[in-house]
Amino acid sequence: MTQDGPILAMSDLTVAYGPRTVIDRASLTIARGERMAMVGPNGAGKSTLLRAMTGMLVPRSGSVRLAGDAIEHVARASLARTIAVVPEVADLPFAMPVVEVVALGRLPHDPPFTGLRSSDVAAINRAIERVGIEHLRTRDIRELSMGERQLVFIAVALAQSAPILVVDEPTAHLDIRHQVEVMQLLVELNERDGMTIVAVLHDLALAAHFFPRVVVLDGGRIVADGPPAETLDGTTIRTVFGVDPALVRLPVPAG
Amino acid sequence: MSAGALSRDLDSGGIAAWVRARPIAVGLVAGVTLVAILVLGVGLGSVKIGTDEVVGVILSKTLGLDIGVTWSPATEAIVWELRLPRVLTSMVVGCGLAIAGATFQGLLRNPLADPYVLGTASGAALGAAIAVLLPIQVVVIEFGLLHGFAFAGALISAWLVFRLGGTGGPGGLTRLLLTGYAVGSVLAAMLTMAMYVSGAELRQIFSFLLGGLGGASWVRLLVAAPLIFGASALIIARGRALDAMLLGDAAARHLGIDVGRERGILLALASMATAAAVAISGLIGFVGLVVPHLVRLLVGPAANRVLPISAVVGAALVSAADLVARLVGDVPVGVVMALLGAPFFLFLLQRTRSGYEL
Amino acid sequence: MLTQDRRRRVVRTLTLCAVVAACSSPAATTTPTAATTAVPPSPTLAASPTQAAAFPVTVTDDEGTAIEIASEPVTIVSLTPANTEILFALGAGDRVVATDDGSDHPEAAVALPDVATFATVDVEKVVALEPDLVVAGGLGFTPDDAITRLRGLDIPVVVVYATSVDAVYDDIELIGTATGTSDTAKTLTGDMRAEIDSISAAASSAGTKPRVLYEVGYDDTTGAIYAPADTSFVAEMVTLAGAETITTGDPNTYEMSLETLIAEDPQIIVLGTNPFYTPTPDAVAKRPGWDAMTAVRNGDVRPVSDIEITRPGPRLPLGLRNLVGAIWPDLTLPAAS
Repeated sequence: MTQDGPILAMSDLTVAYGPRTVIDRASLTIARGERMAMVGPNGAGKSTLLRAMTGMLVPRSGSVRLAGDAIEHVARASLARTIAVVPEVADLPFAMPVVEVVALGRLPHDPPFTGLRSSDVAAINRAIERVGIEHLRTRDIRELSMGERQLVFIAVALAQSAPILVVDEPTAHLDIRHQVEVMQLLVELNERDGMTIVAVLHDLALAAHFFPRVVVLDGGRIVADGPPAETLDGTTIRTVFGVDPALVRLPVPAG
Repeated sequence: MSAGALSRDLDSGGIAAWVRARPIAVGLVAGVTLVAILVLGVGLGSVKIGTDEVVGVILSKTLGLDIGVTWSPATEAIVWELRLPRVLTSMVVGCGLAIAGATFQGLLRNPLADPYVLGTASGAALGAAIAVLLPIQVVVIEFGLLHGFAFAGALISAWLVFRLGGTGGPGGLTRLLLTGYAVGSVLAAMLTMAMYVSGAELRQIFSFLLGGLGGASWVRLLVAAPLIFGASALIIARGRALDAMLLGDAAARHLGIDVGRERGILLALASMATAAAVAISGLIGFVGLVVPHLVRLLVGPAANRVLPISAVVGAALVSAADLVARLVGDVPVGVVMALLGAPFFLFLLQRTRSGYEL
Repeated sequence: MLTQDRRRRVVRTLTLCAVVAACSSPAATTTPTAATTAVPPSPTLAASPTQAAAFPVTVTDDEGTAIEIASEPVTIVSLTPANTEILFALGAGDRVVATDDGSDHPEAAVALPDVATFATVDVEKVVALEPDLVVAGGLGFTPDDAITRLRGLDIPVVVVYATSVDAVYDDIELIGTATGTSDTAKTLTGDMRAEIDSISAAASSAGTKPRVLYEVGYDDTTGAIYAPADTSFVAEMVTLAGAETITTGDPNTYEMSLETLIAEDPQIIVLGTNPFYTPTPDAVAKRPGWDAMTAVRNGDVRPVSDIEITRPGPRLPLGLRNLVGAIWPDLTLPAAS
């Protein structure tokens, strides 16, 4: 992996499910250490773009390069050590203590027959601490609230120790305090630990407040890309989201 | 073992000491029980044989040692040709069914899955019934048509269900389970039909359905054991994939697991273990469904603990049940297992406070 | 999987089979072994001047397996009631050391230890007795696994089953050869054949053949009726007794519907009774729908002990005599030889 150039680069990416084009010639470059939010109305293609970006689906045309390498040629385990994606909150079929769930994040690092090494254990403990769920370590994950589970799944991704963290609606189940805490965590991971953060967010205010770069998606196209002050202006809010900008008070000067 | 390391080093968070030691303790208890059952199983039977004779036969057969005890050829045959292969076969079968059950439950994310969830039971039984009804008798190194057809029937039905059901897309696992149910129903209907027209051969089909280890012999054991142990070892080696799939397909993919491929391989391996077990022992229920739960209850769901410990517990359970069945005489092993095993399982369900309760 | 109901039914059917001991497949078309049923005992034996001089001998059993018996067996295990009766009738009873739990005749056999039940064989016990001959039942009567295990331990196992009256003679001679009593066996089968032929001749010329249902079983709960399968052993016995036999219409099925039975309209119903199945003519008359049959209306429902009729052993002439007595109560039969 080279240190120069963008860590993720998509060019002319088109993704289609059957006859339906979901992503239409999207080009996007993400530099190492960037913190970027992706916003857009429902069905704009945000999650699909994330899946293409993380190598989980094959685009119809265009390319995704991870640190210069075509993503489809990156080995699975190596990909998982480079990009951590916070999993959707899932129901587990069996009882499982939080600490063991978080430990699953070490799978890409775990050689098949040796089990956890001290570096793994350290990463698991660090992830639990960063998310602030020490008090939940031994609890059965199935007993936790949706919000608590969401924090656990963020910890799973952190335990992966990947330089890129991708989150899709990480605050969906959280109360306002936890929303802000998760955002602060993302900022801290980015600024202190140098992680590259890509987040899909519904809440424009959180995007505008916590992210220096906001990409706006609409109908499968990237319609705006830049600092929130530029991308989340009144025109965009009116045309893309179809609401009166006066109703949305963003922590940026609306244009 | 990662469990030990995990618990030991993560204990700063306050995992109780008994949880830390639990996987090792449970494994040890199950292992010691297994050895005890082996000793009892060879020592006890419908014919009374002195301990000295049993020990004498085994030492002379295995190590060529002569401990100055004499015994009759019949005694030697009973200990060496009847009891020992039977006890060992029951253990191998229990191991295979428990591992297959744990695998299916994890793969399908369904606590009610058992080794027969892909229609393997009906497939094997139909194969056996066809073999019984066919006007041919083939015996190749102690394996009759029945064993071959049961083995093939189990594998074919699993393959068919996997091909028809697939696992892709949302609801893929549900589709697979329902396909298993539907294919199983068709096969069961055909089996019922075969039984209806079978006349006197009904008994043979019926005894296959009940399951039992009366046919155990060294040769059968030596053919089935490598299949079961081989499949089990390969499953254990892929435990990480099973663990990752607990979080769901998408999450497993993000953790670097090729979900489609791993699921196919694991289904094939579990079906192989099931088919081999079924071919030599008929349909033995209960163990494949309950043992993995029992083990998870005690040591949690991580595959590297559940799979090996389930193997040992499954082996102990089937061999213990078969020992009781032999001593009581005339009782199918599945009946004994359910009668003795289910209350024990219920007790654990009610009383366990391990942090892994259902 | 089977439903509970189905299982129960299977168990019941199996029990019936056990009881009548004649759940024989007609088999010429469905089992390989039927073809070999008629294989005569080894000709070398027939030529032997004395019974004892024949050993070692190789016999071909009813499954077509060739079994070598090194010397005259002195420790014999019988695994079916019919085989036990045959062994005792051949004078080899004092060499029988164990039987199955169904062996209830003759009296001397009852006291012998049981090493088998209807469904299972305690292989361990058999091995411990160190037998030099095991006479097993075919068609799944003795589980295949048990036969394989015993043979694997070099114990000669002769598998015997008869699907017809003629096959019973062959089986008796087969066991005779295997136990060094072939002369006795020939005398016995000759006598049996003569008696059965004469009874059958008398019954067949007694008058117009009545339509007879030989009831193998009836389930009061479900109304299931068990009757002789086509070409089954029981059906042959009923035919030999000078009757037109009502069968299930299928060589493998022992169950028939009430509708079919009413359409067949039996003139006589013979109830094959045994310690486990004891229906009475009164109970039969009360079964729903049964009064549509001539036999029930006229009160021609007659119990007869079923074991002698359906057990393929030396008491078949007696069984046929009893059966003829039920079908032709007024007929005087020739005396037993």
